Amino acid sequence: MVESDSQLVARTKCGDQQAFAELVRRHSGLVFRLAVSILGREFIPEAEDVAQEVFLKVHHAIESFRSGSEFSSWIYRITFNQAVNLKARVRFRSPHADERALYRAVTTEPGPERQAETAQRDQMLAECIRTLPEVYQSALRLYYWLGAGVGEVSELLGVPENTVKSYLHRARQLVHAMLIEKGYSCD
Amino acid sequence: MTDMEPRENGIDSLLRRSMAVPVPSLPPDFDQRLMRELHQRSQVPDRYRRILLTGYGLISVVTSAVVMRGQGLGWGPVAVTIFGPLALVVAVPWARRATHRKMQHSDG
Repeated sequence: MVESDSQLVARTKCGDQQAFAELVRRHSGLVFRLAVSILGREFIPEAEDVAQEVFLKVHHAIESFRSGSEFSSWIYRITFNQAVNLKARVRFRSPHADERALYRAVTTEPGPERQAETAQRDQMLAECIRTLPEVYQSALRLYYWLGAGVGEVSELLGVPENTVKSYLHRARQLVHAMLIEKGYSCD
Repeated sequence: MTDMEPRENGIDSLLRRSMAVPVPSLPPDFDQRLMRELHQRSQVPDRYRRILLTGYGLISVVTSAVVMRGQGLGWGPVAVTIFGPLALVVAVPWARRATHRKMQHSDG
């Protein structure tokens, strides 16, 4: 029989490391995806550090976790805060990967001029996304880049599905308006 | 799929195109590295805690014995007064853990 998260938490509280290892196995992927969605594709090693730090924090604070609460919501909230704090610190550091290079690698437009134009527009798009509120950025990256459905985004951000839809709608509107303002078309 | 207004289609497909880059994932040994790190972090404070507690325990036992003997108590009552509470400190968490395990088995 598969044990629930709360049963594993109770066993971890009694000092069972196997139970904690199972919690890590269950949640590490989503914790990492959430961290990546907040930090962006230039800071993937930092997202890995966030995932590790989150589990160390959770292990340290597991005694204070109330058994009636949802473990996943708790851990995703810690991840969100940890990633946002780290983002504020690494904002002025040079990123590991140049976003332009990443975009150029996937540009399939014919002709060098058209390719350069597309790469420039994509770079501008990335810059526009970076100016959005954290939850909008995270929702956009989870949905469009990491391929998460609305349900998964809602679970990771701890908001109802309708709120996720409204985040995505508002984020698209804002990005569209910013691109138009900078003289780029979206078609 | 989210509900979209027709004028959002352009920005939607643009976002899809430009974000079509490889999705990263955690290294396969992430879990093992994390458990190793956890083990290392918990070992150092544990060792200090154990040394401190042992020292404190020994000093308390000796001090209590000396004081009680000074009051004219025999070795028997002195031993009971000192080791009785100590036995309780060990037995209570052990009993709680055993009860918890038994309850979990009966739930399963």
